[in-house]
Amino acid sequence: MESRVQGAIAGRRSATGSGGKDLTSPLMVKTSRFGEIEVDADRIIAMTSPILGFSESRRFFLRPHHGPESPFLWLQSVENPALAFVVVPANLVDPGYRPEISPGDRQELEVEPGRDPELMVILTMYREAEQPRITANLLAPLALNVEKRLAKQILLDPAEYDIASPLE
Amino acid sequence: MLILARKADEAIVIGNDITVRVLEIKGGQVKLGVEAPARVMIHREEIFKRIMAENKRAGLDAPTDLADMLDVLKAGVWKLPARVDGLLDKVGGGGKEKL
Repeated sequence: MESRVQGAIAGRRSATGSGGKDLTSPLMVKTSRFGEIEVDADRIIAMTSPILGFSESRRFFLRPHHGPESPFLWLQSVENPALAFVVVPANLVDPGYRPEISPGDRQELEVEPGRDPELMVILTMYREAEQPRITANLLAPLALNVEKRLAKQILLDPAEYDIASPLE
Repeated sequence: MLILARKADEAIVIGNDITVRVLEIKGGQVKLGVEAPARVMIHREEIFKRIMAENKRAGLDAPTDLADMLDVLKAGVWKLPARVDGLLDKVGGGGKEKL
């Protein structure tokens, strides 16, 4: 795993030749879907807790899908080339979606008092199904502190929110 | 695996700050009380497993070409609000991008 991670990240040295660890230099990220992508360091989003099932992937970046009027965004893993979620801002799926976010989650995301993190929902694409369809995971959305570039997948009450809500 | 026998009202302590107490044992069901710091996620195992499975499906099996899926979205009653672009800027997905 270690060698694959290092290969995938391959951060570039800064053009000034300072040689030190330059946090602003872009990363070259290998992806299985989009080839190799250069990503500015300030666009990296750090997961404060792992997306469940993917504890080895702690850094991601958002990449818009360039279809006509497409609301889709890719959330691509830096560490795992094959891992990319299709997400949309949660209030596109349901304008009334305002789940309660726990004090623990707020604290972990360093959200300022009186503010709210942005919520994104992860979509599951059933493209090969007889009737292609999309479902949205309203039970475990991603909460994002945009200013600090911190995110985590938060877990809500299963009695209230559906893990696979059909988009139709 | 560590196996401990506990009676009602007895507890186990995990680390420095997590206590799991047996509150009630009745008819094949055990009621547990968990005290832990807010940062510790506590959920029923089956919910955890369902979310993991859904994440795997969503993150590893997503098709590279989303054109068909965009059609699926637009064919439904689901309408795209005009504020899509603004929202994308807000979450940092839009704007500058180098390929």
